[in-house]
Amino acid sequence: MQSRTGAAVAYDEMVDADGKPRPGMHGVASVLDTLGAEGLTERARLRDAYLDRQGITFSLSGRERPLPMDLVPRVIGAEEWTRVEAGIKQRIKALEMFLHDVYGPGEVLEDGIVPRRLVTSSHHYHRAAYGLVPPNGVRIHVAGIDLIRDEAGTFRVLEDNLRCPSGVSYVLENRRTLAHVLPEVFNGQQVRSVFEYPEHLLDALRAAAPSDVADPTVAVLTPGVHNSAHFEHAFLARRMGAELVEGRDLFCRDDRLWMRTVRGARPVHVIYRRIDDEYLDPVHFLPDSLLGVPGLLNAARAGNVAIANAVGNGVADDKAVYPYVPDMIAYYLGETAILPNVTTYNLSDPDQRRHVLERLDRMVVKPVDGSGGYGLVIGNQASESQLEATAQKIQDDPRAWIAQPIVTLSTSPTVVGEGAVEPRHVDLRPFAVNDGDDIFVLPGGLTRVALPKGSLVVNSSQGGGSKDTWVLDEGERGPAGESAPPRVTRVRRSAVARHHAPVTADERLRQQEGQQQQSAGTDATGALPC
Amino acid sequence: MLSRLAESFYWIGRYLERAEATARLLAEHYHLTVEDRSVPDDVAAAVVLDALSLPHGTITSPSELVRALLGDVGNPSTVIGAVGAARENARSVRDAISGDVFESLNGAYLTLTRGLMAAASPGPSMHRVIERLMVVNGAIEWTMTRDEGHWFLLLGRSLERIDMTSRLLDVHHEVLWPDTGPIATLRSAAGLTPFLRTGEPPTGDAVRRFLVLEPTFPRSLLHSARGAEEAARGLQSQGNAADATLLREVGLMRSRLEFAGLVQDPSEVDALAAETQMSAVDAALATADAYFRQAGTIVWSH
Repeated sequence: MQSRTGAAVAYDEMVDADGKPRPGMHGVASVLDTLGAEGLTERARLRDAYLDRQGITFSLSGRERPLPMDLVPRVIGAEEWTRVEAGIKQRIKALEMFLHDVYGPGEVLEDGIVPRRLVTSSHHYHRAAYGLVPPNGVRIHVAGIDLIRDEAGTFRVLEDNLRCPSGVSYVLENRRTLAHVLPEVFNGQQVRSVFEYPEHLLDALRAAAPSDVADPTVAVLTPGVHNSAHFEHAFLARRMGAELVEGRDLFCRDDRLWMRTVRGARPVHVIYRRIDDEYLDPVHFLPDSLLGVPGLLNAARAGNVAIANAVGNGVADDKAVYPYVPDMIAYYLGETAILPNVTTYNLSDPDQRRHVLERLDRMVVKPVDGSGGYGLVIGNQASESQLEATAQKIQDDPRAWIAQPIVTLSTSPTVVGEGAVEPRHVDLRPFAVNDGDDIFVLPGGLTRVALPKGSLVVNSSQGGGSKDTWVLDEGERGPAGESAPPRVTRVRRSAVARHHAPVTADERLRQQEGQQQQSAGTDATGALPC
Repeated sequence: MLSRLAESFYWIGRYLERAEATARLLAEHYHLTVEDRSVPDDVAAAVVLDALSLPHGTITSPSELVRALLGDVGNPSTVIGAVGAARENARSVRDAISGDVFESLNGAYLTLTRGLMAAASPGPSMHRVIERLMVVNGAIEWTMTRDEGHWFLLLGRSLERIDMTSRLLDVHHEVLWPDTGPIATLRSAAGLTPFLRTGEPPTGDAVRRFLVLEPTFPRSLLHSARGAEEAARGLQSQGNAADATLLREVGLMRSRLEFAGLVQDPSEVDALAAETQMSAVDAALATADAYFRQAGTIVWSH
């Protein structure tokens, strides 16, 4: 597929250069062939009905709608995944150390690895969090690292999300939905399960609790039902068996956090908050926020409550800090980054700025503290006046923007209208959970797909869809059909015979005699126990 | 109330419960086997068929298992068979039940027998079945007079629920699917959220204990035994001669579970479940003896 600038050809995840399906894609390809356009349209209808019924939605500009899920799964091989997994663990380890450093000793700044002014000028560097060490040292309890595949098929990190990365609920729901409406596509291969995620998250949150609490209470803090990701907040709370709370359900007293219940105040030890720093505590941040809890930060500082993710993480996923992450990995871990970055220009640097402004039509320009694809400008798809406006904005406030050369994202076959299958650009957001001892990376993650033809913007807030993402399990088991011997073959037959009406022979006889009203074949009383 | 009517109410309760529990087990089991291909299909099918006391036949794939368990009107151990049987019983007491109950049950039956099988994938079909059955139960809740017929229906429902929950435990999902099995067991009983809210991690043993002993969960053996006892006492309170055998049976069954204390040993939990299931069979026989064919009935069969 040729991009509009005639530049690079996207990496096709379905077929190789010779047009043959890649390993692991044979099964998917043959199911698509068998179903044809008509079959796919029928399944798409089933999928829509299912998603509607389940209420698996997110709000877009105030309207609730299902996150479009494509019927074609995206497949990642076991070996490739091992590398991605290692790369994500490595990155999060380094970012944890970076956060510990900038909210503490500041050695990385002293040693000039990351420029001090970059950190102090970040909107998300919160002095209120300085010196606030979480009970088990973890600040990035949940991370979503956005990856893309470049033209050569190499996974690269596009951005880090260390504040409130969302989307993991769709990973679980997509798997369930696909198995519901397109079960045959799972035939013949073992896909690694994603359903253990809530358990890992709960373990990590409990591990974050103050050490003097034997049985910590975990609560999920949501802004409320009008938030775009409310479905996810409720989903995670439900699947963890945790309480879903809003700011008004909580209060702080004596540097402790409490929730209001019908049996009086109950302590809360870990708060998995899904609201931004600025709204979290009106004592320290926006004084008119009604979403947060006054005094929460003081309670955290006193060590009586753990906040996940920690306050101030935004400094590490600031897009202007992102180019320094490979250096952090070298500095803290003495390793080279397993997952490379995408080339990024720091616009505060006059030379780099001039370089970018000269070729703005071949650049992607992003606000440093934005998310959700808002404010993104793609050079080759922007109008002349948009480019001019962007150039002006960069001149006015270089620190607020970064630029990257346009990377043609890889494509994956996607069902577009009337059952036709065409390549569409995709990215990948794997999710990782850090419990302090180990970092768990959910196999796969959320694949987002840009549904309009040729579009490179995958954000769900910009009309993107998603795909079920498979990591093949090629380890211990062979493909199903010739699978390893089952762990147990003996099964217990239910000892009790089935009971049917009526229970005795004379009863049956009596009823048969006088039962003209019961038609043969549907006779409720004629069946024998089996 | 006529014995014949009473018996029909009792069996409406039983068959509705059997149909819904079988459909839920089937839907979850199907999901499990589709998503996790590590267990051979025939073994995966066998554990369910054995638990439901159904013959294995030649079932080798998940979709064949779906067809077998959906079944047909001739076999009331299957979903369609059970709904058909409930409908036949409802027809024979049509004068005594509300129009809403009959119509919703009849609608469920027609949905099942007309064109449901044409659906492309069994998952959505199962959802439709469960939805229709929930409507029937809603109509019963809303419109049925709380008279003897209602108590018979509740008695049948409670005893069948004990039987079906025991059979669900017999599937032993956690043996073949150590990671995803316990969750599948819970979902089959619509118990995932209630279980998770207890704050316990979903291990096989914890899930089994929950399904046997949790007093607040409507499909646990303990809760169902309470329901059976309540129904037996309800019949008594309606002026029926107290049947000592039935009351004793359900009372003992409930007490064994109620005062089981802290059962930690998994094998004890299983033993308790097996005992309860047997007890439910005895209670069913006692019900029949007491109300449907009392001693002294003259049977005109040579």
